[in-house]
Amino acid sequence: MVSPEQRFLGILDTSPFRIAIVYSIVFACGAAALLGAVDFAVSRVVDGSTDNLIEAEVQGLREQVLVLSRSDFIELIEQRSQDQDVRGAVYLMVDPQLRPVAGNVPAWPKIDASEGKWIQFKVSVPFGDETREHEMRAQRFPLPGGYHMLVGHDVQERLDVKHLMMRGLIAAVVLTLLLGMGGGFWMGRRILAQAGAISAVATQIMSGDLSRRLPVRNADDEINTLAREINTMLDKIEQLTLGMRTVLDSAAHDLRTPLNRLQATAEGAMNQLVPGSAERRVLERVTTEVDHMRGTLDALLRIALAETGTVAREPVDLSELVASMVELYAPVSEERGITLHSAVAPGAEVLGSRQLLAQALANLLDNAIKFTPDGGQIRVLLKGSRGAPEVIVEDTGPGIPADKRELVLGRRVRLDEARKFPGSGLGLSLVAAVTKLHGARLVLDDAGPGLRVSLKF
Amino acid sequence: MHILIVEDDDVARDYLAKALREVGHTVDVAADGLAGLHLASSIAIDLAIVDRMLPKLDGLALVQSLRATGRKLPVLILSALGDVDDRITGLRAGGDDYLTKPYHMSELLARIDALARRGDSGNAERNTRLRLADLELDRMTRRVTRNNKKIELTAREFQLLEFMMRHSGQVVTRTMLLEGVWDYHFDPQTNVIDVHISRLRQAIDKDFDKPLLHTVRGAGYSLREDE
Repeated sequence: MVSPEQRFLGILDTSPFRIAIVYSIVFACGAAALLGAVDFAVSRVVDGSTDNLIEAEVQGLREQVLVLSRSDFIELIEQRSQDQDVRGAVYLMVDPQLRPVAGNVPAWPKIDASEGKWIQFKVSVPFGDETREHEMRAQRFPLPGGYHMLVGHDVQERLDVKHLMMRGLIAAVVLTLLLGMGGGFWMGRRILAQAGAISAVATQIMSGDLSRRLPVRNADDEINTLAREINTMLDKIEQLTLGMRTVLDSAAHDLRTPLNRLQATAEGAMNQLVPGSAERRVLERVTTEVDHMRGTLDALLRIALAETGTVAREPVDLSELVASMVELYAPVSEERGITLHSAVAPGAEVLGSRQLLAQALANLLDNAIKFTPDGGQIRVLLKGSRGAPEVIVEDTGPGIPADKRELVLGRRVRLDEARKFPGSGLGLSLVAAVTKLHGARLVLDDAGPGLRVSLKF
Repeated sequence: MHILIVEDDDVARDYLAKALREVGHTVDVAADGLAGLHLASSIAIDLAIVDRMLPKLDGLALVQSLRATGRKLPVLILSALGDVDDRITGLRAGGDDYLTKPYHMSELLARIDALARRGDSGNAERNTRLRLADLELDRMTRRVTRNNKKIELTAREFQLLEFMMRHSGQVVTRTMLLEGVWDYHFDPQTNVIDVHISRLRQAIDKDFDKPLLHTVRGAGYSLREDE
């Protein structure tokens, strides 16, 4: 069962979620760029007009100071400082010791700036019952007699607007990202639910139940269209597979029935004859040949069955299977003076056919015992865990030359060197078919000396 | 024993009927599924041998119909199909045993014998102690003694002996052993079963006068007290 955490992480991995994230990032960047541009334009217009205002005032006062006496100039400054119509304008006239003479700023700002440069400083301004620090922007210029003049404007409001815009911008970006992620998460969940239903059915189909079909909802979106097409494909596969199975079944029937008659006729006639008579020996040879044919037929049918993939699959305890096969073959190899080593990792499980896997292992062990000289060794290993177990059968026989390893997996190939041993030549092809049926990989290798066969699941 | 053979292949059917009569059974035959079902429901039959592919009524459908009417008689299914899965389908349909063609008559006779005695060996199934002559096997304590002398067996030898003792007096074939003790359904190329049997024989017969485990030529093995 999938834990909630895994399901959550699964949604984060879906393509709609990723697309949504990419889109919300792109959109957030766009929104940020747009707001940045607006902010830039607005501050240029507003800052520009304030600066012009101050510069004009400086220019005016410079002219006034030339025509007015000091006391008149002070009066003018006082007057302008009190003027309620000019909101936010600040003035300060100081003596050479920088002591305030006139104006509405309590003290000369502690900022050293030359004439004509812009100064920014903070001034405490009454704000209801409290005072607030306001940002001021100003210019200074010298007055006759070592006096100094400061003319500026309150820019706090402008800054407030700017901050508000910045906050709005950040909120917009964050909201975009959150909405994008939320939307992506929702779409991801939908896709995951559909994909989950599809993969559940696919697993059942792969385990041999060809009658299953993908769930289709009454909608024309891409997934449903895809599911419908896959279902049509599955119909065809089912027909083909059933067709192959029918051909296989009738071939089996048409071959087994006459073989059975042959066996029955030979056995029936044999029972009428005296044991040891020449006629009886002939019939005994007939039944022996029937046995051989049956063996070959069984092997061919099992190969075909494995290749059509119509065998019902179930969980198989591979560890138990390998251990029990080793145990089954231990006495017969001991009889031959062959040491059968085994190391079987516990808990290995695969989905498949226990009987076919057993047959494949039996073929490998039969081969190993057949080709290993007396006093040799056979090693059977089951490595790896639940997920990807590997079965290895090694012997100290003659092995198979590297250039012929591909060849022996084909149908009925018996190398010249093997002709002195009995067998149908189907053993390894059955192993190959069974391996393929289980989605495993069959590798023949040099065990130095001997053959090393590995089944990687 | 009264045995019904339902088989459409006349050569196979005639030989089977003849062979069964020779060993003392009463035999009725049917050549198609419907006739087979009719016979099976009208006369008292102890055991049925049913071919899987039959005209008129399929062998599996015949067995299912029999089971649906509550008939519990042992049924052996003969099949000319592939195998692996077919065997499972056959047993699921209600068959008690399954034999693929071509078969040896000795194999079929041994299996029929085992099926017929399964009814009265129901007690042996529940019995924790099996006994044959002076050989005793206790399934609870997993102890085997002969003539009150303890015999050491491996786990598999114990299973093998238990299977043989449950079928004592009957012929047990190699494939029956491979199926019954190991649950495998294939013919090994090498004589794996024979070697296991000879080890068991070493353990239970070697130090005693009367051998109990006998080889039945051309068929298999039998655990019995020799007359």
